[in-house]
Order: sequence, then C-alpha cells, then structure tokens
Amino acid sequence: MNMVQQFDPAQVDYSQDLGTPGAESDVMVTVRIDGMPVSVPEGTSVMRAAAMVGANIPKLCATDNLNAFGSCRLCLVEIEGRPGTPASCTTPCAEGMSVHTQTPRLDKLRKGVMELYISDHPLDCLTCPANGDCELQDMAGAVGLRDVRYGTEGENHLDRGKDESNPYFTFDSSKCIVCSRCVRACSEVQGTFALTIAGRGFGSQVSPSEQQPFLDSECVSCGACVQACPTATLQEKSVIDLGVPSRKVKTTCAYCGVGCSFTAELRGDEVVRMVPDKQGGANEGHSCVKGRFAWGYAQHQDRVTTPMVRDSIEDEWRPVEWDEAINFAADRLNAIKSKHGVDAIGGITSSRCTNEEVYVVQKMVRAAFGTNNIDTCARVCHSPTGYGLKQTFGTSAGTQDFSSVEQADAILVIGANPTDAHPVFGSRMKRRLREGADLIVIDPRSIDLVRSPHIRAEHHLQLMPGTNVAVLNAISHVVATEGLMDDDFVYERCNKTSFNAWVDFISLPENSPEALADITGVDAETVRAAARAYATAGNGAIYYGLGVTEHSQGSTMVMAMANLAMATGNIGRLGVGVNPLRGQNNVQGSCDMGSFPHEFVGYRHVSDDTVREQFSSVWGVTLREDPGMRIPNMLDSAVSGDFKGIYIQGEDIAQSDPNTNHVAEALKAMECVIVQDLFLNETSHFAHVFLPGTSFLEKDGTFTNAERRINRVRPVMTSRTGLSEWEATCALSEAMGYPMPYESASEIMDEIAQLTPTFAGVSFDLLDKLGSVQWPCNEQAPEGTPIMHKDAFVRGEGQFMTTPYVPTDERSTRKFPLLLTTGRILSQYNVGAQTRRTDNVVWHAEDVLDIHEADAEARGVKDGDWIEITSRAGQTRMRARISDDIPAGVVYTTFHHPVSGTNVITTDNSDWATNCPEYKVTAVEIRPSSEQRA
Amino acid sequence: MSTSGDYKQQHLIKMANQIAHSMPTRDDIAGQISAHMRQFWPSEMQQTLRQIASENPDLLSEDVHNALQSL
Ligand code: SF4
Ligand code: SF4
Ligand code: SF4
Ligand code: FES
Repeated sequence: MNMVQQFDPAQVDYSQDLGTPGAESDVMVTVRIDGMPVSVPEGTSVMRAAAMVGANIPKLCATDNLNAFGSCRLCLVEIEGRPGTPASCTTPCAEGMSVHTQTPRLDKLRKGVMELYISDHPLDCLTCPANGDCELQDMAGAVGLRDVRYGTEGENHLDRGKDESNPYFTFDSSKCIVCSRCVRACSEVQGTFALTIAGRGFGSQVSPSEQQPFLDSECVSCGACVQACPTATLQEKSVIDLGVPSRKVKTTCAYCGVGCSFTAELRGDEVVRMVPDKQGGANEGHSCVKGRFAWGYAQHQDRVTTPMVRDSIEDEWRPVEWDEAINFAADRLNAIKSKHGVDAIGGITSSRCTNEEVYVVQKMVRAAFGTNNIDTCARVCHSPTGYGLKQTFGTSAGTQDFSSVEQADAILVIGANPTDAHPVFGSRMKRRLREGADLIVIDPRSIDLVRSPHIRAEHHLQLMPGTNVAVLNAISHVVATEGLMDDDFVYERCNKTSFNAWVDFISLPENSPEALADITGVDAETVRAAARAYATAGNGAIYYGLGVTEHSQGSTMVMAMANLAMATGNIGRLGVGVNPLRGQNNVQGSCDMGSFPHEFVGYRHVSDDTVREQFSSVWGVTLREDPGMRIPNMLDSAVSGDFKGIYIQGEDIAQSDPNTNHVAEALKAMECVIVQDLFLNETSHFAHVFLPGTSFLEKDGTFTNAERRINRVRPVMTSRTGLSEWEATCALSEAMGYPMPYESASEIMDEIAQLTPTFAGVSFDLLDKLGSVQWPCNEQAPEGTPIMHKDAFVRGEGQFMTTPYVPTDERSTRKFPLLLTTGRILSQYNVGAQTRRTDNVVWHAEDVLDIHEADAEARGVKDGDWIEITSRAGQTRMRARISDDIPAGVVYTTFHHPVSGTNVITTDNSDWATNCPEYKVTAVEIRPSSEQRA
Repeated sequence: MSTSGDYKQQHLIKMANQIAHSMPTRDDIAGQISAHMRQFWPSEMQQTLRQIASENPDLLSEDVHNALQSL
C-alpha cells in the first residue's frame, strides 16, 4: 500500500531553487503531488509545490527568482482529469488537484526535449568550467539521457565566438540554450534591460543591447544573468580560473549600506565567487558589481599586513612585530596624556568596520584614553540624520525595512542616487516603479531614475544645490494649505503645540512654491504637482541620501522631511516612512555603537548619570560626563597645538574630509597619529604607527545596514595580519593600562547587548538562528522591528519643528559663479581604496567634471579638455565632460580617485547642528588648463 | 589657509553664530543655543567661546551672548 507521508512546512529547504517565486495569498489550496498532500498559498505553481515536498521536477527555463516563462518544456507533468502534459512551472495549483511528476510518458517526453538541447550543445563537459555546476548536465542526468539520436553533427551553434569583454564574466554563446533566464534576470531582478533575444527560431541568440560586447552595452555588471544562467554560457572568470568551489561561508558585503548577504564560495582559503544569498533580508538573492565581483582588493599586493612605526613622518616606515607597534603607540599616547592632559588625544571610528570593532575603539578612547574625544566618519555623511530624526521621531534611524518599498504608491527620492550608490535597493525600487508607483525626484542632476528603461520620474524637481529646505518647505506649504494633511494621524500621534506652530509657519506666503521659485529654480506648478502626488497617493515613502545631509542645513532638512511625513500620516506602517540610504556598510552600526562624542552606545547622553554609572560599573572605570570633541574640532585643536594624538580606524580623513589642506596641516601638527587600515592611505603619510587592518573576508562580527538590520560577517579566511582588528585595539588599550580581555567578537556583542536596551536581545546565536535581525531587538521585540513608530513614536508624540530656509554662506559669486556638487558612481566606492584595486577601474579610470554645454562654451571648454577648478579653499585639475544631466550653473564630480583632489576644493562649511561638511555645495570657477594634474 | 591657532577661534565663532542663525524653531533661541552647547560642546570649547565673548563681543551675535548667560 502507498504510505502517504505528511507535509511539514517547517521542513522546506528554502535555500534550494524551488523553480518559481512564492505566491502571496491568504487563501490556501491543497493539492496532491505524487500522492503527498501539500497546502500552499493560492497562485503557487505546481513546480514549486512539488519542490516543497522534495519532488523536484526537471526544469531548465525556470528558477525561483524569476517569473515562470514556460519555454523549455522539460517540466511537464500529468494532472488527473486534465488532458495533455502541462508545464508545471506555469500551471498554478488548484484545490484538490492530483499531480504526477514521474510517469513513463513524462520520462519519454523529457528525454526527447533533452536530446534536442544536447544535440546543439558542445560535449566538452569534462573540460567545461561549469563541470559539476551545470543544470543542463544535471538535467541530462535527471531525465536519464544516455544517447542522442540526432548526433551532434547537424546544424548547430557550436562555432559561435566568446565575448570576454567584461572583466568578471565571459559569454560563450555556443553553450547557450536560449532559456532566456539571463534576459529575464536583467529585466525583472536588476531592471537594466540590457539583454534581448535577437533573431528568431533556430537563429535566436542572447544579445547585450544592440549586439554589442557586454562591456560596451548598457550592462552594469550586476551578475544576475550569470547567476541565472543554467549553463556555462555566462560564467564567472574566477570559476574558469580557479575551478568549481568546494566550501561555503555566509557573510555580508562590506561596501554600501544596503548590506547584502552573500555566500562566499571557496576552494581552500581562496574565494572563487560571491553568490548573493536568496534568504538575505536586505537583498533577497541580488547584488551589484561591487559586492559580487569587486572583492579582489583583499588580496591586492598593496595591502600592508605587518605593523609599522616611525619616529617622525619624514622617516621611512619600519616593519615591526605587533608587540613593538602596540607598545610604541601606547608609550606615545601615554606621554602626550601626562604632558598635555587626556583631552589632547582622541580617536575616530570607521563605518567600514564591524560593530564589535567600533565598540572596542570607542570604549578604549573613553576608558583607556580617559576622554570623550571620539567621533566617527559618519560625522561627514549622516550625522544630520541622527540629529534630525531623534528630534522629531525620537530615534536616530530610518523607519522601514527595504521590502516596505514594495507597498509604496508614491516614492520621493531626495539627494540620493540609488541605482548607483545603493544598487540592490535601487533595483527593488525600480521594480515597484515599473508596477506603477509614482516617482518624484528632488535632485540638481538627472539621475538614472529620472529616465531609465520603463521608468520615468513624473516629477523631477531640479533644484539649485543648497536649496533643499526651501523646496521641502514649499511642498509642505502646498500640503498644509490645500487640505492634504492627515488630521487624524496628527491628532492621535503628534504633539499639538508643535504641530500648530508648524502649520502657522509653513502656511506663510513666504513658504509658497511661488515665493520660493526664484531661489530654488523649480517652478511652482512642478512643486505643487509633486506635493499632491506624494500626499494623495496612499502610501508616500521618502528615501534620501547625502544630497540631504551634506549641507549647512542638513539637519533642518531631515526635520523638514519628518514634518512632511507626519503631516501626511506617512509613518508607522508598510510602504511609507523616512528612510536614509546610508553610504557605507556600517554607518548605522558605527553610530549605534557610541561613536559620537556626546553619546554612549544606543544614543544615550554621556551626561545622563544613570546611564554613565551603568557603563562605569561594567567597564570598571570612571567616565567623563561632558561631551568630547568632534572631528573638525579635534583637527582645529591640532592646528592650534592643543590636540596631539589620534587613533584613526579605517578612515582616510586626508582624502575624504573637506578642505584637505587644513586636514593635512592638522595631522602634521600631531605627535602621534595611529592609522589602522588595509592600505597605506593618504592619511598614513602623516602617521607614526600603522596597524594593519583586516578585510571583511577575515572579519568576525556584525554590520548594521540602513534598515537597522544586524547581519553577521563571518571570517571566510584567516587574518592576513595575524590579529583581528578588535584584538589589536584591545592590545593597545591594555598597553595603556586598561585591559579589555575579550575572548571573541561574540563576547563583545554580549556586552553591547547587556548595556543597550535596543540591542538587549541580540547575540551571535540569535543571528545565526534568524539570519539577521533589525533593532530594536529585546523583550518587547524578540525577533526585531522591521517598521518603527507603529503605534507611537519612540519619543512619545511626534515633534514638528519649524524649518526656516537659511541660505548657505557658500553662494555663487562673480569670482566663483558655478556651484560644484559631488556624488558617486556605481562601480566605484567612496575614496576608491578598495574599488580602485579591482577590475572595476575599467568603468571609471578617473574622476571627471560634468559641466553644462552653455557653461563650457562660455569658458572655451570642450568635452575631454583638462580644466582647472578653483574654489576659495583650493584648486585642482581634472577632465571636463559636457553633460545635460545638470542644469547650467551647476557642475558635478565624483571623488573616487585621490589624484583628483576633489576635497582640496571643498570648503569647511558644515551643517549647523552636527558639523557634517557641506560637500554638496562649493562655489567654483573653472577654466581650461594647459597642465594635466594638480 | 591659516596656520595659526586663530583657526580654532574662527571656527568656534562661525559655529556659534551659525547655530544661533539656523536653530529651526525660533522661540527661546538663547535657551536652545545653550542647551545645544551643553549637549554637544566640550566644556573647553564653551570656555573659549566665553573668552571670545568678553574679548571680542562684536564677533558674536546677540543670541549667542544671551545664550552664554545661561550656559
Ligand atoms: S550583468 Fe546585470 S546588467 Fe549586465 S546583462 Fe547581466 S543582469 Fe543585465
Ligand atoms: S545565456 Fe544562459 S541564461 Fe541566457 S539564454 Fe543562454 S543559457 Fe539561458
Ligand atoms: S548593493 Fe551594496 S551591499 Fe549590496 S552588493 Fe552592492 S555594494 Fe554590496
Ligand atoms: S521549466 Fe517549465 S517550461 Fe521550462
């Protein structure tokens, strides 16, 4: 008798390819697969239901991150009471259906299909790079194909050439089975639409753009097509070179704030490829070119793996043992301390490092150095987010998870360029936009989203740099005066007094779009239409980046966005929110970990006696109650001779901070500069101690992404330097007289959890169990908090702030008539220390200055000319590129290459509340240059 | 750019005036400035600002002077 097994949903292995995407429905249907009953949400394919009970139906054109296509005809099944043999990938389950996946008839049909594929496929399996990792090979085995009746001598595609133009993968058309998975991956998952099937019938083949090589096409090298390809047609070059991987470790990308989860696939200690994790909460199986391919820097020859010291910055570096370097640094810092006092030293933590590494650095500074002079590189990017959201909502973090965008009806993108800077989230947003959500872009540039395949921003508010607050005020004015507010939400959730004051302020005629049009450069009707679109869409979601924060009114702008979201009731549920897109991988985490000079871990002020005593008792040391200095104050104090020593973790302030000349002057004036990094960066030219850092491939710890998601970073190889970064920090602390005897990174997280209410439930064990968790994670939310401020704001009532527009001092003048603004591109990352040391340079070998045709013409500049750019802070040279992405009066560049000296010209203007530098507005003049480099 | 210790003072003056000028909600500006300084400024910076206020009062806005009273 046939024993019917029971289906246990908890036993389904979701990491395997289930063939088609899951369906979302509250209605469940029950079907029988080869006799086994299974209940699935309505809309689930027969193929997926079968895979869930372990009856894997052979397939070629289906994979579970793409919609079913039904082209290969390998997945046929028989269904009782239905004629024929339908494709299981395109057939939805229906109540009571009884499916047979293995019958003699099906075997025969599948063999026939496979025969046709194999007869037009090179039979070089043994030497093929995908040998052992090829679905075609697997399927031939699965259907029991033993011989090919047609032979392989007939008409075929075996002599088609190979495209090796992309630095990371090859395209060998002779192996293509035209399953279209790559084409669909590029459109559905990535949203670039770079691939098509050209030609028809037997002559059809995959083609990038207009039959171009991949490198010259619109392809952005995300690798989704490579991952989707069931054959060796699209294949990673690293697999071709190194062979199929033999072991796997789950970890997290160390580039941007999206925080994609990956499986590092290795042979021994060598990474063969990085495969985005389908179960990764942030990326759900997708990645961009940086995370998937640009990890080679970890093994780059420039990497320094030995500690080094020198007496003066004029001397040569002297490689030494760890002990000597640590003692050298400790002696110098202690000497400064006793001569000039504890406030003459300090430290900077890095958003590139793990939470645990950051935590021990700030602890060392507070406990061993004895000062609160600790700051983080987030100072120069998202500090206004922390300030603004804390004032209005009560917590220094974004409100949503990434998947929330799937429910948004109107998406407002302000000063962010997600497709370049947060590509995986950008793809997710694009999917929602293709489904019909409205898009409003507020940006001086025509970023990719403004017009890209199947996407168009209905509203592009192309404002003059520096006028964000004016534009947001104008939008809110429309909302307040046209009756577009959500009165119930405001009444129930927000502080009335602050709301009334805000309405009075925002309704003033001076805040109307008409009154502000001359200042912002955006015509009033465009503003009005955008305001109506956001306020009336249903779910309005705000996403913003450094184009909001890196301004003299950065904090005000964050509060202005929070006001708008509260006034329209767009907070506290799926599809809405105010969402910072964080630049670096661990900006959120480094801020959470007590890196600011006025706050302990979890954003609690150092002057709070209860909190301070709690830290004092766990750390066993008396702690200071007054705030320490921020980075710019430390640098100013160094120039004036009061600040003498600094520990800089993984940040290149001599390149990334504004007004490079001033930074250099400050660093030169110090007696002990300690740099902990992978490479001898620009800052290390001024350093006395170099402590080699570890790449993300060697780290053990956690990163926290832009959605507050704490992800595990697991070591995939042993540390190249002999020590973990946190071990080096602890050694220095101990040498200075304050031991921090941790045994492991997980022990550090346990201490963080002990001291931080929002992290109380976090542990490595929990992360290993759940994959990731979004803080707050504690007794009230044991599995974390995807959406914040659901029933009440963290601060109780939402606080409105009036936000008068205050123009920046950095205005265009007769001497400096153009406004320079900066940004990043997809293939490069920040100051480029990593990406410049990978093949990503093929896409961006140098920074260039984008200039409008009219401005170029007026100055006699042609496309590709070398030009000199001067601001009141300094001067540099780069090549010009004529571009219509920016309006006249504005120029734009990136800052990925140190030789460009972009920050030589940025000024020391900064946000009034947080001192976040005003990178996004610098008044400049340009002129043709006879010389090439500064 | 400057190579003297003035840099620090110039920046403090600029910061203080900018805070006064940019504080979003415009009531009790002096109270808000002093609260802001207590929250974010090391005592050494507050002292330096006091010194500037007495030696070069013209360099600081009236709101900053008022704030210093209650700091
Ligand atoms: S790498 Fe990405 S962008 Fe390029 S063709 Fe493949 S899916 Fe499209
Ligand atoms: S390249 Fe690969 S994924 Fe694309 S059609 Fe050919 S076999 Fe299918
Ligand atoms: S989107 Fe960001 S986190 Fe994801 S792979 Fe790219 S760089 Fe890494
Ligand atoms: S897998 Fe169903 S038709 Fe190809």
